[in-house]
Amino acid sequence: MITLDSVTKIFGTFTAVDNISYTIEDGDHFALLGPNGAGKTTIVRMLLDFIKPTSGKISINGVPVSDPESRKQVGYLAEQHLIPPYLSGFKYLMRHASLIGLSGKNAVLEVDRVLEMVAMKGEEKQKSVTYSKGMKQRIGIAAAILGHPKLLILDEPVAGLDPIGIREVRKILENLYDKGITVILNSHLLSEVEKTCKTAAIMHKGKILVRDSINSIVKDGETLEDVFIKYIENENEKLF
Amino acid sequence: MKNFFKIAAFTLVDQMKYKSFYVLLVISILFVLMIRGCYQGEYIVNGKQINNITLAWYVSKIVFQIIAVGMFIMVSMLSMKIFSKDEKDGSLILFLSRPVFRWQYVLGRIAGTWALCFVFMFLLHLTIFLTLWQKTGSPIPGYLTASLVCSINLLFVIVCVCFLSLFMPDFISAVFTMGILLVGFISDGGYQILNNEIAKSTVPSIANTNLALWRILYPKVFMVQAYADSIISQSRLSSMGPFHPMLNLSVFILLIMILLLLSFNKKEI
Repeated sequence: MITLDSVTKIFGTFTAVDNISYTIEDGDHFALLGPNGAGKTTIVRMLLDFIKPTSGKISINGVPVSDPESRKQVGYLAEQHLIPPYLSGFKYLMRHASLIGLSGKNAVLEVDRVLEMVAMKGEEKQKSVTYSKGMKQRIGIAAAILGHPKLLILDEPVAGLDPIGIREVRKILENLYDKGITVILNSHLLSEVEKTCKTAAIMHKGKILVRDSINSIVKDGETLEDVFIKYIENENEKLF
Repeated sequence: MKNFFKIAAFTLVDQMKYKSFYVLLVISILFVLMIRGCYQGEYIVNGKQINNITLAWYVSKIVFQIIAVGMFIMVSMLSMKIFSKDEKDGSLILFLSRPVFRWQYVLGRIAGTWALCFVFMFLLHLTIFLTLWQKTGSPIPGYLTASLVCSINLLFVIVCVCFLSLFMPDFISAVFTMGILLVGFISDGGYQILNNEIAKSTVPSIANTNLALWRILYPKVFMVQAYADSIISQSRLSSMGPFHPMLNLSVFILLIMILLLLSFNKKEI
C-alpha cells in the first residue's frame, strides 16, 4: 500500500504538488493524469526519493520512502529511459539484478525470463547504442519487472514511441496487469489508461481534482478524454 | 555495505572499458621505460663524477614526483564527470531506483575511481622500481611504500573534485582543485626550500619566520609528496606545524567527504 500524507512540494516559488493525501491499495492499477506541469512526475520522483517533499510523508508498505528498503519491491520505468551506452541490454539488466540481490545463475535465469517477456531475447548482447527507442523502452520495462516487484511505477511508458512501439509496450504491460502487481501509471495517453487502469486521479496545478475508479469517473457515452478535458477546462475557468 | 562494493566494482569495470585507459597506461609505462637511459651515462657535478647508482636513485625520485603530478591531472579529469555522466547516461537512476543508499552510491563511485587510479600509479612506480632494481642490482627501499602514501593525495583530489562538481561545471571543478593544489605547492614548497640545510646555513633567520595559520592548516598535498620523498630518501621530513601531513589530509578528506554526502543527499534527481 502506498500512502501520501499531506504531501507538498515547492520548487522556489512554484508549488508543484499542493497538500495531496491519498492511498493506493495493493493490486490497484492506478493512473495519474493531468496536463504538463500538473505535478505527476514530481509525485513519481518523490515516491522513489529522487526528490524530497517540502512537507508531508510518503511511505510504501509502511516504510518511509527515504529508506531505500521501500524500493526493494519496486520496479521503475523512467519517462525518458536511458541505458548507459557502454552496456549491452544484458549487462544493464545484470546490474539491476545484482542490486536487488540476485547473483550467479539466479540472476542469469531472471534476466532471461524478463528478456523473453519483452521479446528482446537474441538482441540482449548488443550495445545499447544500437537499440531503437522502442528496444530501449522494452529493456527499461524488463529492468522494471526484474525480480517480481510488487509495485511498478511507469512514468510515460509509451512517450515518444511510434504506433508499433506503443502496441508492443501495451502488450507487455497488459500481460503484467494480470499478475496482481500494483501499478502506478503516469501517462498522457488517456485511451491507454482507459484500457488498462482500474482507478485514476486527475491532477491540475499540483492538486487532485478527482480520484475514483475509472468506471465511476467516466459516465455512459463519455470517454476518459472527455472527462479529463471537462475537469481541466472547469478548473481553468475558475482561475480566469 | 554489499551495494557499496558492487558499485565500486561497476566503476572499475566501466572505467576499464575505455580503450583510452589502456592507451594512456601503455604510453605512461613506455615513457617510464624510455627514461631508463638516464640511469646510465657519465654525469659530472661540481667536478665529481656521479656513480650510476646515485644517479639512478635521483632520477627515480624525480620521476616519482612527475608521475604523482601527472596522476593528479588524470584523476581530476576522471573524477569531474562521475556524477554528471551518471546523470546523463541513466546510471544514476539505475542505482538509486534500487534499494541503494545515496552514500553507498557516492562512496562506491569514489572508491572505484580511487582504486583504479591507485593501481595505475602503482604500476608506473612499480615499473621504475623494477627497472632500477634490474639496472643497479639493488631495490630502493621504501619506493613502493611511498607510492602507497601518495595514494592519499589521489583520494583527496577525487573527493575534492566530486564535491565541487556538485556546485560548478565539471571542468571548472577540476581546474579549481588544481588551483588548491597549486597554492599548497607554492606555500609548502617554499617552506621546504627555506628549511633545507643549505638555506638554513646561508640565511639562518629565514627558517624561523612565523608561519600564517592558514599555511599550517592548508591541505598538505605537497607535504605528503615530501613525506613520500623522505621515505625513499630515508630522511627526516621537516613538517609544517604540529600536525603530520597525513593527518592533515585525512581530516580534510573526511570533512569534504561529509560535506559531499550531505550535499548529495539533498540533490534532486
